[in-house]
Amino acid sequence: MRARDSTHTHTEHAVPGTDGADAVAPTTENGEQQHEEQTDDGSAAPSPAAPRRRGTGRIATAVGVFGELLITAGLVLGLFVVYSLWWTNVLADREADKQGNKVRDTWAQEEDGEPAEFDPKKGIGFLHVPTMSKDEILVSKGTSTDHLNDGIAGYYTDPVKATLPASDKNGNFSLAAHRDGHGAKFHNIHKIEKGDPIVFESKDEWYVYKVYAVLPETSKYNVDVLSAIPKESGKKKAGKYITLTTCTPVFTSNYRYIVWGELERVEKVDEERTPPEELR
Amino acid sequence: MYGWIWRRLPGNVWIRALISVVLVLAVVYVLFQYVFPWAEPLLPFNDVTVDDQ
Repeated sequence: MRARDSTHTHTEHAVPGTDGADAVAPTTENGEQQHEEQTDDGSAAPSPAAPRRRGTGRIATAVGVFGELLITAGLVLGLFVVYSLWWTNVLADREADKQGNKVRDTWAQEEDGEPAEFDPKKGIGFLHVPTMSKDEILVSKGTSTDHLNDGIAGYYTDPVKATLPASDKNGNFSLAAHRDGHGAKFHNIHKIEKGDPIVFESKDEWYVYKVYAVLPETSKYNVDVLSAIPKESGKKKAGKYITLTTCTPVFTSNYRYIVWGELERVEKVDEERTPPEELR
Repeated sequence: MYGWIWRRLPGNVWIRALISVVLVLAVVYVLFQYVFPWAEPLLPFNDVTVDDQ
């Protein structure tokens, strides 16, 4: 109605100066009207829609909580990976260093003439495998999980008892260590090739073994690999062997990875503990 | 869930944020110290020995 009035006056006067002002006025009035209508709609909207929204709200909350639980589960799994691939290594390396230092201290003590208590559970020596790792690996008795979790290599007592190199008898010096986590001492076992040296360092001797066979995958029940004459490695005669076992493929333990070596020579440890040429 | 916890924390935003961080660290500590060491041997990721059992 107003708009019609204004156009009416506007045609009567026909003054160009007021034309613009008149033309603006109705549009603003229209705009305000539209605005009022919109706010009316807006304020009217919640009352009929409210119950519906409360219903969907409950579902939305449930979905939200479910989503948050999924995110939480993902984060926990992620943390578990951090735990098993990093934190257990930190703990195990710390523990292995501590135990290794203790063994070296005991050796030094014995050198000085003081009798020291010998406990194979605390360590009998160190394994050096240059192609696998630059670090030395403490070797001690037993292959229980708790024991291996200290970041050491354990020699088997069960199901087949390992023959220790120091015993000077024919047999198999069988060892196990972790592939991932807990020090991951045998992580790079796949880098060992035929002909590579494995050196075991005891208080008085360097036992230099040479790798002659690798079995990249075998059943975890295959205890024959530990036998005194490991037939699968191709040996038929008694000898002084070393066997490294760990799990494979990396990050799982579906199978076992086996590396066999044979004793090549034994060197006396000198005053400075000069390593054999394989380690230089 | 997290919103619910957040609304129940006392103090202003900064204090709430601080408490949240402490809570998260506490959860991580409990996981690393107790839950994961318990769960790990139950999972088939780290058996390295050959065994006849």
